[in-house]
Amino acid sequence: MLPREVHVSYLPTLSNPCSFLLPRLPKPPPMALLHRFGCYSSPSPPPSISITKSTSQSVFFSASALPRSRRYPRRFPSFRLTATLATETPAGSVSDGGGGPPKLLLEVKDLTAVISESGKKILNGVNLSIYEGEIHAIMGKNGSGKSTFAKVLVGHKDYEVTGGSVVFKGENLLEMEPEDRSLAGLFLSFQSPVEIPGVSNSDFLQMAYNARRRKLGLPELDPLQFYGYIMPKLEMVNIKVDFLNRNVNEGFSGGEKKRNEILQLAVLGAELAILDEIDSGLDVDALRDVSKAVNALLTPTNSVLMITHYRRLLEFIKPNYIHIMDEGRISKTGDISIANILEKEGYKAM
Amino acid sequence: MDVSAFPPIIRTTRSPSFTILTSPSLSNFTKTRKVKPGVLTQHSLAPVAALSDPFVLQIAESLEDSLPSFSSNLQKLRDFSSESLLSTPWPSRKDEPFRFTDTSFIKQSEIIPVSSPPPPESLNNLSVLEATHLLNLTIIDGYIIDSLSQLSGLPNGVFVGSVSSINSTEITKRVLQFLPISIQGDLFLSLNGVGSPDLVVVYVPEGCKIEGLLHLRCISSEGGNKDSKKLPVSNPRVLVVVEKGGEIGIVEEYMGGDGDLSYWTNSVMEMVIGEEAKVSHSYIQTQSLSSAHIKWTSIQQEKSSSYELIEVSTGGKLSRHNVHVQQVWSDTITGLSTFHLSGSNQTQDLHSKIVLDHPRGFSRQLHKCIVAHSHGQAVFDGNIKVNRFAQQTDAGQLTRSLILEPRATVNVKPNLQIIADDVKCSHGAAIYDLEEDQLFYLQARGIDLKTARKALIVSFGAEVIERFPSKDLRKKVELHVKKLLDPEVHVENSM
Repeated sequence: MLPREVHVSYLPTLSNPCSFLLPRLPKPPPMALLHRFGCYSSPSPPPSISITKSTSQSVFFSASALPRSRRYPRRFPSFRLTATLATETPAGSVSDGGGGPPKLLLEVKDLTAVISESGKKILNGVNLSIYEGEIHAIMGKNGSGKSTFAKVLVGHKDYEVTGGSVVFKGENLLEMEPEDRSLAGLFLSFQSPVEIPGVSNSDFLQMAYNARRRKLGLPELDPLQFYGYIMPKLEMVNIKVDFLNRNVNEGFSGGEKKRNEILQLAVLGAELAILDEIDSGLDVDALRDVSKAVNALLTPTNSVLMITHYRRLLEFIKPNYIHIMDEGRISKTGDISIANILEKEGYKAM
Repeated sequence: MDVSAFPPIIRTTRSPSFTILTSPSLSNFTKTRKVKPGVLTQHSLAPVAALSDPFVLQIAESLEDSLPSFSSNLQKLRDFSSESLLSTPWPSRKDEPFRFTDTSFIKQSEIIPVSSPPPPESLNNLSVLEATHLLNLTIIDGYIIDSLSQLSGLPNGVFVGSVSSINSTEITKRVLQFLPISIQGDLFLSLNGVGSPDLVVVYVPEGCKIEGLLHLRCISSEGGNKDSKKLPVSNPRVLVVVEKGGEIGIVEEYMGGDGDLSYWTNSVMEMVIGEEAKVSHSYIQTQSLSSAHIKWTSIQQEKSSSYELIEVSTGGKLSRHNVHVQQVWSDTITGLSTFHLSGSNQTQDLHSKIVLDHPRGFSRQLHKCIVAHSHGQAVFDGNIKVNRFAQQTDAGQLTRSLILEPRATVNVKPNLQIIADDVKCSHGAAIYDLEEDQLFYLQARGIDLKTARKALIVSFGAEVIERFPSKDLRKKVELHVKKLLDPEVHVENSM
């Protein structure tokens, strides 16, 4: 495989460009070197940074061997990032801006979980570390535990955690209520979002956004102010205004539901967005819209964990890592080449 | 809506009923099967009960005495009603239609008929009436109050007012021919027939489509003190006749006067909907929590006519709505959407009956209720009868109840009686606490549990409220319901 080149360019419209210009480039970690990964950075003068990185596709890690310190620089597609697109992120996550190493955002260790009702084991020791600015993808067969893992992270009551730990931004995530996990900056785009008849999208979004503002100690927005806030977000996800008057997900097509999830992400912002099969049920245009919106929401400090069955999505939102989930644990980790093999030969090739 | 096709069945016994006394976990679920066959009511089985009930006669007499002597227009109705009262005892819990509904609150009160319209000077103090420029007729204690009504702008030929002021003998004759609309009523329907001081008529001539909504504001202003045992009773009665191809939207709103007074509103609305005519009927009941509200709504539908009821009832210590829809020819469309809220120590009861005798009738019924008080109760008996010639009927019924407090009670008895063999019918009943999945979805977006619960409770009724035909109405009712469910909400413009 040829070495890849990724160019990241930041336009000077950023509110605080300096914090991004100072390299957030990882120091080449020893483990990575051992695995013949090289990271070379060649800081060029502002306003652009270019990162050149060569990877080797032949290297796979097994989950247990996944080195904590192995980091890729964030691969940014070259998109325009303007200040209006950046959402207020919840407290305390301001970029370190000083060029330190990327922070560990989420650390999952030996996580095991069962279905609360039946006691059936679903997760059998998941290990995963996500650093700020990274994009991860999880692939795997149906029933391998991908969605369960996502739901466990956000605190769904159908599942009971039986062991292991999850630390998000230095705090024990498992002790937090679902709403506190959300306020802390964790967002799950649901695979099949539930319909809530009688609650309009606008009321819902305003309620959720104001909860966030309360948490940040900001004054709540009244409906008019909120309208002003949400209009650009609608545009971003390519949704019509009358969408706001409809009830949450009620009678939505598959594509509309996914767009609505991403709209919520755009409105609320998140340091870690978990996207559970945002590509299922989408036609190519809708997928492009949704991916474009996700890409536009990315900042160097927030991260994405995608769950998908198809390589198609990974062409729109390019991951740094791909994990294969099998029988409730991550069995392999690698780069995009894994997805290529999967596409050709299926999971038996894993 | 749950949709399922029933195989042709003939039912002679009523469907089983469910009595659910809830604990928070909904574990105390008892199912009682009714063993008594047939549709005969208890009193006609027992010869003793067929004798006159002195208590009922006493009320009937006092009602008669309260009225000006003779009214030629209403005499037929009064005679008919008196006669049926002779053989109708006060209902007890042994009578199937009152099995779950305790009427002793009325029986144990001192019932006093309201014998005259309110004095004009008292009207100025009625804070419940906001000024409106919309078409409206104000009815206080059963009497039309012209000074508070606004009827200019009605199209030619449309009449709204007292039967005695119709200035066309033709219309008078036409209207009165429908009195009384013969349905299997009950004691309360007959009492209204005896005690109603006036008949309010809404007449829409052939092909006339009325724009905007006609608002009937029914107010009970006479009232006893909450603890006085006095129960002034009023008997408003409205007859709506919509001729072939006519269209009208009616808002029927029941309010209390000022304060938490006790009174008994015993109201009747009858409606005849002509061929291809359309009626949208919004019904809002927000009377005092110390009052009794008994209501009959009786509808006759001609060929290809359409009737749509949207109801929100939140008031009354005892509130009962009897809706009876009778198909008189084929291809009718009937929609009933009702939302009852029992937010305090009160009973909200809906007894509905849709009788389909002719082909290709289409009906959809949605009943929702919330019981948010441990002494609150909701009752629903929804009967749909598909008779032998009602082939290709499409009838759907769904009832959903939300129980928010321990010991709160819901009694639902959805029942279909199907004799025709080529029909599509469905019914469903669900009783639950809030949906976990919906709560979680809101929580996952950072909304705390308490706020999420509130939003979902309010949304439960919204499915019905959003069917009201005007935005103002929807807003008004929504605010009112929000306020009842959450006293912390301070709403200036409440109802």
